[in-house]
Amino acid sequence: MLNRLVFALTAFCLFAGTAAAQTKPILMVYTYGSFAGKYGPGKAVKERFEAKCNCELNWITAEDAGSLLGRLRLEGKDTKADVVLGLDMNLAAEAKSSDLFAPHGLELKNLSLPITWASDTFIPFDWGYLAFVYDSTKLPEPPKGLKELVENPNGPKIVLQDPRTSAPGLGFLLWMQKVYGDQSDKAWAQLKPRIVTFTKGWSEAYGLFLKGEADMVMSYTTSPAYHVMIEKKNQYKAAPFAEGHYLHIEIAGMTQTTKQPELAKAFMNFILSDDFQSAMPEGNWMMPVKATSKELPQAFRDAIQPSTALLFTPEEVQKNRRSFTDRWLNATAQ
Amino acid sequence: MLLIDQCRLTWPDFSADYSLKVEDGALCALIGSSGGGKTTLLHLIAGFETPQSGTLTFRGSDLLPLQPSQRPVAIVFQDHNLFPHLSVARNVALGLRPSLRLEKAEWALVSEMLEAVGLTGYDHRKPGEMSGGQRQRVALARAMVSKRPIILLDEPFSSLDPQLRRSMIQLVDELRKRQSITVIMSIHTPEEVADVAEQMVLIDHGRVIQAGSPPEVLRTFHSRSSTAPDLPV
Amino acid sequence: MRFRRPHPGSLVAVAIVALLAAGFFALLRAGGHEASFLSIGPYLLRLLLFSLAQAGLSMVLSLALGSALALALARRNFPGKDILLSALGTTMIMPAIVAVFAVFTVYGRNGWLAEILKALGWPGDINIFGYPGILIAHVFLNAPFVAKIILDALHLIPAEQWRLASALGFSSGQIFRHLDWPVFRAELPGLASLVFLLCFKSFAIVLALGGGPSRATLEVAIYEALKVDLDFARAAWIALIQVAICLTATLALHGVLARPPVATTSRTTISRPDAPNPPLMILDGFVLTAGLLFIAPLALSIFTGLGHITAVLDEDLLFALLTSLAIAAMASTLACSLALALGAAVRTHRVGFGSPRWAAVFDLIPNALLAVPPFALTAGLFLLIRPFVDSAVGGLILLPVVNGLGALPFAYRYVAPRLLLAEERYGRLSSSLGLTGLTRAQIVDWPLLRRPLGSAFALAAALSFGDFGIIALFGGPELRTLPYLLYERLGAYRFEEASAIGLLILFVAFMLAHMSGRWSHAPD
Repeated sequence: MLNRLVFALTAFCLFAGTAAAQTKPILMVYTYGSFAGKYGPGKAVKERFEAKCNCELNWITAEDAGSLLGRLRLEGKDTKADVVLGLDMNLAAEAKSSDLFAPHGLELKNLSLPITWASDTFIPFDWGYLAFVYDSTKLPEPPKGLKELVENPNGPKIVLQDPRTSAPGLGFLLWMQKVYGDQSDKAWAQLKPRIVTFTKGWSEAYGLFLKGEADMVMSYTTSPAYHVMIEKKNQYKAAPFAEGHYLHIEIAGMTQTTKQPELAKAFMNFILSDDFQSAMPEGNWMMPVKATSKELPQAFRDAIQPSTALLFTPEEVQKNRRSFTDRWLNATAQ
Repeated sequence: MLLIDQCRLTWPDFSADYSLKVEDGALCALIGSSGGGKTTLLHLIAGFETPQSGTLTFRGSDLLPLQPSQRPVAIVFQDHNLFPHLSVARNVALGLRPSLRLEKAEWALVSEMLEAVGLTGYDHRKPGEMSGGQRQRVALARAMVSKRPIILLDEPFSSLDPQLRRSMIQLVDELRKRQSITVIMSIHTPEEVADVAEQMVLIDHGRVIQAGSPPEVLRTFHSRSSTAPDLPV
Repeated sequence: MRFRRPHPGSLVAVAIVALLAAGFFALLRAGGHEASFLSIGPYLLRLLLFSLAQAGLSMVLSLALGSALALALARRNFPGKDILLSALGTTMIMPAIVAVFAVFTVYGRNGWLAEILKALGWPGDINIFGYPGILIAHVFLNAPFVAKIILDALHLIPAEQWRLASALGFSSGQIFRHLDWPVFRAELPGLASLVFLLCFKSFAIVLALGGGPSRATLEVAIYEALKVDLDFARAAWIALIQVAICLTATLALHGVLARPPVATTSRTTISRPDAPNPPLMILDGFVLTAGLLFIAPLALSIFTGLGHITAVLDEDLLFALLTSLAIAAMASTLACSLALALGAAVRTHRVGFGSPRWAAVFDLIPNALLAVPPFALTAGLFLLIRPFVDSAVGGLILLPVVNGLGALPFAYRYVAPRLLLAEERYGRLSSSLGLTGLTRAQIVDWPLLRRPLGSAFALAAALSFGDFGIIALFGGPELRTLPYLLYERLGAYRFEEASAIGLLILFVAFMLAHMSGRWSHAPD
């Protein structure tokens, strides 16, 4: 036992030490765990970028977008990050006000986003709509709109994420807000009996849904594509809602403190290139922000195409999030 | 008379076969190297071990079918004789009635017994507040108060210093004479009981090597230990 | 007043407290834009009351089931018991999400229980959201651990006392009163506060099984402040409130059930005289059956991951395993050293200086650590060391430190009583022989401590092994642990692979618990 521990310890130290001994310039990119994980697009992105840049790309990861920004704030001006990849629109204002990000200086043309992109600090790297995912073998007739879901007392049971701890959770809160405005607390109260629970993160909610605890789960329009392409299961569908869907855009930015701005900028450019974008659909299960030379997989082309994109600006989110959350709390925490 | 006749006990790594007679009212000292089977013999008499064969009788009646608590025997161990959460008096009272629901006269008996072992007024102390010698005296009082005709002492004083040990042995001797109790005691330092014991028994490898008067058994003991030194641990 | 040279353990205690205080202070100062004083609104207040209620109930139920199981297991022997005992030490380290899924697999709307009931013709719908679900999960995680700790302690009752019990003819009630109960009295206060604190801050479980934001814990607010508001000062304030409440609860529990002096030996027990008692046989049969019926399905549901094991066996996994083990070993070493130092300080204060008050204060430190949210502590400590070290190195340093501090309360439960025991047994002897310092440690303490230290090490390692906590902040390709890998797979829709990794984590923890059990039960 002891021998094995010593071995593991040595292996660990050796491994930790190797990071320091490099000659090529190293680009440090902060991202969230599953992006750089085994099934994430991280490996492909790293290989493709390194083939061009004569540099080394190192992923540094935190659990999710919130942790990413939290870590960045903790490190402040000492951060080693050159680029941060994986924040979302709802954190953008908070991130910008930290004064850690530099203007990207890129011209953003031909983006295939449902909105026009205005930020000079962040660039989008993938996107998707929030949507309720359901199992069509168990729920043959899903609601056709948010109002139908909210107002039908015999409607399906749903599982949501806590908006205080989860990105899609916050997204759905904003969605409700967009559709119901000042009446959102009433809507929440109406919906409440059919909410199974609010989980800490997306994973718990999706897992609960797969275990059959709820008829529908808050996720993304692209989620069914995973089941089709990897599991060859066609029964999972995203329900199109008449009022439109809330938009989820993932963003990247380069830091002010980077010691290799050229390289960082090259990577920012690379994010918008075909090499990066083509890795998004099957790597991150999200839509690319630019049409890629390779056609989108069929399952993505089959994804529902909402007619209306709902979105608060980052500044609106920053300003109102607390009051929205409080309203939600008052309506649901009885 | 306590009669042990060809009591056999076997374990994977040890076997024992005891035959021994102890007269009523005697002080019988068990000596021999550690691991030789002294404690096993005491446990056999107390009922903690059951022999595969052989007989064990006291004054003609068979002890083997009896549970430890039904046997005419009280026991004192080298250590851990007292329950630390109970006062001294209650620890002694356990010997009379484990329910601790004692009548006045019985509590008086407990105090009397504490007096007899030289612990007058210690009734309400907790074992943790006492010295090792005092604790063993409490255990002795409990063994005495139960009025069992046989008391087994398993190395009761070996953690005490020699002087204290000697006075404790004196105490045991006095008490057993006063109450005409049979005492069987295992001990590491045979010389210290030589002048009070009527009978000494040398035990090794789970067998009674010799039983007799202290001087002759001691001679055998020393001749054996000089060829195979076996220091007390 | 006479000046006393402080015991090194006291310095360790002071250092731990200082470290925590400095971490909090750093967080408060990093508040940044606006000075945010915390007002406890009605929601937070309600949250608090709910947290207290669910933690209290979870604690009572866990202790009740754990105690009953411990007694039944102490009295009965059956084939496979040692495997079962090792398994008992495993549930506690289960990553929260694995526990949540296990509860749903068994008790969910389409769970095993629902299937059985449906097959029997029961028309209703099972709904475990709210208290039932939370309590099921918490009791499942904690009761087996309680059972294991108490069982270990019961094994330390000296063989002589069992022989006395049979020689004096104790009834089964008297056996419980004079032999078992003193052990319970010694163990329950510490266990009670441990379980209470774990449930008080259990967060993913309460959210997933609670059924609504009225069922949440304070930790949610801390998490929100840290990760969404990025308002570190607010996080620190709420964390302080949490620590204060937890300390109060711990103090209250220690006050109700004061720790009596230990009087245990490390000898193995002989068979208990109350084993053949017929009513007890029925009771134990009932307890064991009920306990196993409750625990076994939840534990077995983890094995649904077995089918996907082959899909996760790759280089990543091997490296994550090694990383996890290395971090666990470092954290565990730290936890054990701190436990030793603190335990020695408690001993010195209680026995040497005769100041049991200080001893009691030191006794509280390990449990108080449980109340500190690891994420907040990590953030605070990181702010502290940032000026001095590279941030990547900072993560490497903090990981074992924070995990070690997290495992300290558990290691302490093993080590401290033995230190006190060594003192009670040989304290006078060693002072009369003039044994001090290292010599004394070597001759007196080490032989008694060797095994509990071994089991403390294994347990602390298992705990750190299953911990996700601070990896959330400082992950990365070079710092990928098994729990990290688990969450990474979940994020990529790979639920089956995540369940396989969950199974592997539990398997390693089981092996560690098994070794720990072998060490703590081996005769001295």
